[in-house]
Amino acid sequence: MNRQDIFDKIISILAPFIRNEDARDKISLKTHLLDDLKINSARLVDIILEFEDVFDIQIEDEDIDLVETVENAVQLIESKLGA
Amino acid sequence: MNVSAGTYLRIQLQRWISLIFAPLTVPSVIMLMRFGFGYQIRDQVHLRREYRRILDSNDAPLMICPNHLTMVDSAIIAWALGSPGWYLRNFHALPWNVPERTNFSHGIALRVLSYLFKCIPIQRGGPRKEVQATMSRFGFCVENGEVGMVFPEGGRSRSGRIDVTNAAYGVGGLIDSIPRCRVLCVYLRGDGQGTYSNLPHRNERFSVIIELFDPKTESSGLRAARDISQQIVGRLAHMEREYFDDR
Repeated sequence: MNRQDIFDKIISILAPFIRNEDARDKISLKTHLLDDLKINSARLVDIILEFEDVFDIQIEDEDIDLVETVENAVQLIESKLGA
Repeated sequence: MNVSAGTYLRIQLQRWISLIFAPLTVPSVIMLMRFGFGYQIRDQVHLRREYRRILDSNDAPLMICPNHLTMVDSAIIAWALGSPGWYLRNFHALPWNVPERTNFSHGIALRVLSYLFKCIPIQRGGPRKEVQATMSRFGFCVENGEVGMVFPEGGRSRSGRIDVTNAAYGVGGLIDSIPRCRVLCVYLRGDGQGTYSNLPHRNERFSVIIELFDPKTESSGLRAARDISQQIVGRLAHMEREYFDDR
């Protein structure tokens, strides 16, 4: 799976949690999940569990703190898929 | 659940100081609610008898999980479940709380009062390590015979109704980490309460519904936390439907 595939899947996972409609069509690697997309921080757990299901990977609880931007999410998933 | 020796001493110190001042603080706050604000609670005798029965029937840890509409919900629930005299003799039954720090940091009086009412302030959404340390301290109290109270919706419901999509998974994680922990779901609502507010209306009459249950999950880690939190919030939503159906 290449970086673009991972990015596209992440965007589709994030979609139901995005509360800032204006930012929905402008998502890039630098987009901040909480600040830009206004995702409820309590829902980050749902997103992480969704990552686990979709990418068939195991993410540690502590790794949630690493995911602030879309790029962080891509890197985390790449590292797990490569492990 | 383990805590450091320093944390253990801080917990014991807070408990003992709270107990020493309790003959003054507990009746004062209840008198303020009853005669200052004119609050009344329906079926109080039944509620207190039931709470006593739940505590006497089993020595497993107990976590109270209420809905959340006002800033004084925990005080009203504590008042509903026990009399001042009974709490003085059964101080473990007066629940520990983890209120949002910013709500209780305005002025020394509020900070002292929250300390004396067994509160361990928490910064919601704060640094994970700090939040976990606070929850461990709180969990340690519950695991060791003290009753805890935590709001599974995370904050006051903006809609005034239980939001099943907004469960705070940290609550499920905490309960999952306390062996044999039972959950006492409490649905509290004043007759005049529409949506959320800081305080209930003056002369408000409250209905309180309680239901005990043992959350079960086949999952572990974050999935268990989510599962348990959703079970609790789902139970509260069911109690809310019953409340409105009976009106």
